[in-house]
Amino acid sequence: MDAAGKLRHWATVAVFVGPFLGMLILFQYVPVVAMLRDSLYDFSLLNPDRRSFVALGNYLTLLEDPDRQQAFLVTFVFAFGVVATVIPVSFAIAIYLNGRLPARAIVRTVVFLPVVTSVVVIATMWTFLLDPSNGLINNALATLGLPRGEYLTSKSQALPSIIVMMLWQQTGFATVLFLSGLQGIPRDLEDAARVDGCGPWQRVRFVVIPLLARTTVFVVVIMTVFSLQAFAPSLVMTGGGPEGTTNFVAYDIYALAFQLQMPGLASAVSVVFMVIVLTISLIQMRVLRAKGAE
Amino acid sequence: MKRVLHYAAGAAILAVILSIFLAPYAWIVASSFKQHFAIFRDLKPISWATFFPADPTIDNFVHLFVNRGIGRALVNSAIVSSCQVLGTLALCALAAYGLTRIRFRGSNVVFALVLMTFLLPIESLMVPLYMHVTNLGFADTLVGVFIPWIASPFGLFMLRQAFEEIPRELDEAARIDGAGHFRIFWSIILPNVRTPLATLALVTFLFSWNAFLWPLVILHSPRNHVIQLAIAQSVSIAQLPNWGETFAGATIATVPLIVLFLFLQRYFVRGIALTGVKG
Amino acid sequence: MLRLSTYAVAATLLSTAAFAGERGPPTAECPQGVLTLTVLKPLNNPPTPAVVKAWEGQNKCMRIELNEVPFAQLADKIAVLAAAANPPDIVMYDGPYTQSYAAAGILLALDPYLPAGVREDIVQPTLDEHTYQGKLYSPGTQQTSLALFYNADMLAPLGIQPPRDVDKAWTWDQAIDAMKKCQKGEGDNVTVWGLAPSRFGAGTPGFVYRDLLFVRSHGDPKAAPDSDLYKTYWALARDGRSAQGWINNAVAIGGAKYFADMFNVAKITPKAGIPNAFQDRKACFTIDVSYFVSGLTNNDPGFKWGVTPLPYVRTPIVHTGSITLGVMAKSKHPVEAAKFVIDVSTGQIAEDYARASRGLPTMKSITARISELKEYPLNIFVDQIERYGHPRPPSPNFAQYDKIVSDALRDIAYGSDAKTRLDTAARQAQPILQR
Repeated sequence: MDAAGKLRHWATVAVFVGPFLGMLILFQYVPVVAMLRDSLYDFSLLNPDRRSFVALGNYLTLLEDPDRQQAFLVTFVFAFGVVATVIPVSFAIAIYLNGRLPARAIVRTVVFLPVVTSVVVIATMWTFLLDPSNGLINNALATLGLPRGEYLTSKSQALPSIIVMMLWQQTGFATVLFLSGLQGIPRDLEDAARVDGCGPWQRVRFVVIPLLARTTVFVVVIMTVFSLQAFAPSLVMTGGGPEGTTNFVAYDIYALAFQLQMPGLASAVSVVFMVIVLTISLIQMRVLRAKGAE
Repeated sequence: MKRVLHYAAGAAILAVILSIFLAPYAWIVASSFKQHFAIFRDLKPISWATFFPADPTIDNFVHLFVNRGIGRALVNSAIVSSCQVLGTLALCALAAYGLTRIRFRGSNVVFALVLMTFLLPIESLMVPLYMHVTNLGFADTLVGVFIPWIASPFGLFMLRQAFEEIPRELDEAARIDGAGHFRIFWSIILPNVRTPLATLALVTFLFSWNAFLWPLVILHSPRNHVIQLAIAQSVSIAQLPNWGETFAGATIATVPLIVLFLFLQRYFVRGIALTGVKG
Repeated sequence: MLRLSTYAVAATLLSTAAFAGERGPPTAECPQGVLTLTVLKPLNNPPTPAVVKAWEGQNKCMRIELNEVPFAQLADKIAVLAAAANPPDIVMYDGPYTQSYAAAGILLALDPYLPAGVREDIVQPTLDEHTYQGKLYSPGTQQTSLALFYNADMLAPLGIQPPRDVDKAWTWDQAIDAMKKCQKGEGDNVTVWGLAPSRFGAGTPGFVYRDLLFVRSHGDPKAAPDSDLYKTYWALARDGRSAQGWINNAVAIGGAKYFADMFNVAKITPKAGIPNAFQDRKACFTIDVSYFVSGLTNNDPGFKWGVTPLPYVRTPIVHTGSITLGVMAKSKHPVEAAKFVIDVSTGQIAEDYARASRGLPTMKSITARISELKEYPLNIFVDQIERYGHPRPPSPNFAQYDKIVSDALRDIAYGSDAKTRLDTAARQAQPILQR
């Protein structure tokens, strides 16, 4: 390539990729760098100019702080719980909706309703659904003669309750993603499988699942990221309790920075969290992609 | 007999799905037409009255529009969300094309940079981002609400997947005919990714419309409030809310999205060759 | 509604709202232009529009712009704004934060602006709360305390008549006994609770303002300063620098257990919030502030109600303090902003507001002029504050202490082991308090 061609080449690249990259750097990387810098200081948000340099002090604190470690553990258990439930449920509903069934348009819309409702309202609503004495769920269980739950006031039930809420909320989103993947599968392929004598289950197993590998990667990554970033449930429903069992890292960071006035430590948690999440997601994509390529 | 069983099973599944997803929602909408005390009275025991306002009132809605300025908030949200959708579609489509169709040194680095931010919990960035956006002069403006998010790693990720699934034979054919990158982008690629574009528009609109934490941090004056902040004044985290108003607000805030979803659903249903397998 | 021209959209988008106060163009009446002062305040809280109007009437060339956030987001908002270049001129903040804000240098000391005699007129708990290193940061806009409200119609058939005099206040044992008798239904089928769930926070137990009193009341200020009784009463080292041994000693742990037993043993109060439980007759008793008197008077719940002093265990104690006005250190108009804060908190406007709201003023002279404050039921609140009112444990790190202790009390009410949980809280608070 000659010099003019090279210039034209890079000009084209700049026009296509430049705006996105510029905005990304301006609004994500500049703050990230600020965050990296902040993680080396001890200061308060009320007076950020009065700061003392502590080098890796915040990171050392983090290493021996049981509360921060619990926050990480809780968050990963939550993400695993959400992915492990949302994927099969939404996949099943997507298959169901892709069939020739009556009322499927209504079902699709209904399943999507929680997705379009704001998380603030959903969290508030679920707080009331899960209320141990006056909640809709316990009243319904009592009507059916089933035992009641303690939900958000119980150390063992709070996290599962929020996983169920997240399942309820995110299923519609995952379903729509799966559905758009399913509709990309040519009818002739499925028809061919049917002619070859494959039953419905076999058609799903040998035709649909392999062709949906890409969509699945996408859904798994999205759901993982969504769950790892969970924030509103802690803020609105539990305040991170009882005993830190719903103290998600994103909320922990927020609480550390704004409520406990330790933005330096919060930044250190953010940095570590970012690295861990990144690693998990990359591994996930590798594994799932390798599977899809079989 | 088998057919009857088949239909019965189908109907049962339908009923279960509908009630699980609809019951809480029916409760919200019904409650938005009830007076505060009636919401709680009708919960025990659970009956049709729980999900249906026996004595409907529109007080909650009237109060929201008259006293809480929810009309202004709806307009603000519409402006913010539309701008965010347009900005995101433009930036992401261009970048997705650049990353999938132009070979250039460092493209992997660019994509890695994008991925990193995709996985970044934005809550952790609130403080530095707030100071940064304020320094740029966007504090307490509607621009400040959406501008940081239009370079959406999510959008790029999604469109990049879609672009890669369009067979390269298509643009190679066009290139042989003498088309440049912009022609290929505009006339070959974009028409083939309508579904992903619609999906991205929908999802972006959704995120933008429902965003809460960032608007809360960056907006101060009531006249700039977006819908979630207006509702939050009655939800008011960590404060006993006025449920009737909260639910009325939730109903109002959700309706535009339902309409939009119904409108865009046909993009999903039509299912134009998204993966390119058909070609 | 959506038919906006492109121009209007662009204008809206680019309208950079001036958050800090600004001066308008000069007019005939105001040659220097009309000065706009901005106030950040919590929603549904004073200063009321009436107060603002009254002040604007006295100060023709000034205008007040109110910006509101939900109360629960107020502290976060102030924290963010304090770091910004153009914060509001005036904030209506939660009283216990005075020391935090003063230590961080975000509030302006008001001493130079105080007219003579005003300082001496302020009640002691308010001075305690708003003084940091000898300087006064707010005259206190209002004062309040908690008392026990009851549904007299429900108690009458049971022959229960709660005391009206602070000298004859119930102990909590007596109160819980009355609550048990009044409760209707058991286990999962309670229709009327003995005690309404907390009205504070999200309705969950633990809120320091209300629930730490159960613990502090187990202590005794007259005991030896190194005793558990003494430390439990103050609940935080007197210099605000340590919680270790103050919130997790044997007496305090006993107090927390006593508190938790109301939920788990006596079961006279639920673990989750019920809005308006008292007004809707779902509870016989509720713990609420003096403003609730005015709420019940203005919106008749349809039953007879009464007020009794807050019960105690060993030592009577109530928390004082309320939201209050302060001037931001970064305000470009400190003189005018301080004038607003002082006028509204101490003068005729404050008296008018106290009468209208049935609130308790922070100025002794105003309290003396309002006869209603000497009569039942408001005299109970006034007496409590004067005799045994204390601010929430003062510390430049109160906000952090508040969150950590509230979370611990909540978990203990839910069933966590009191000792383990309070030890954890003390461990979490220690490095923050000692910063």
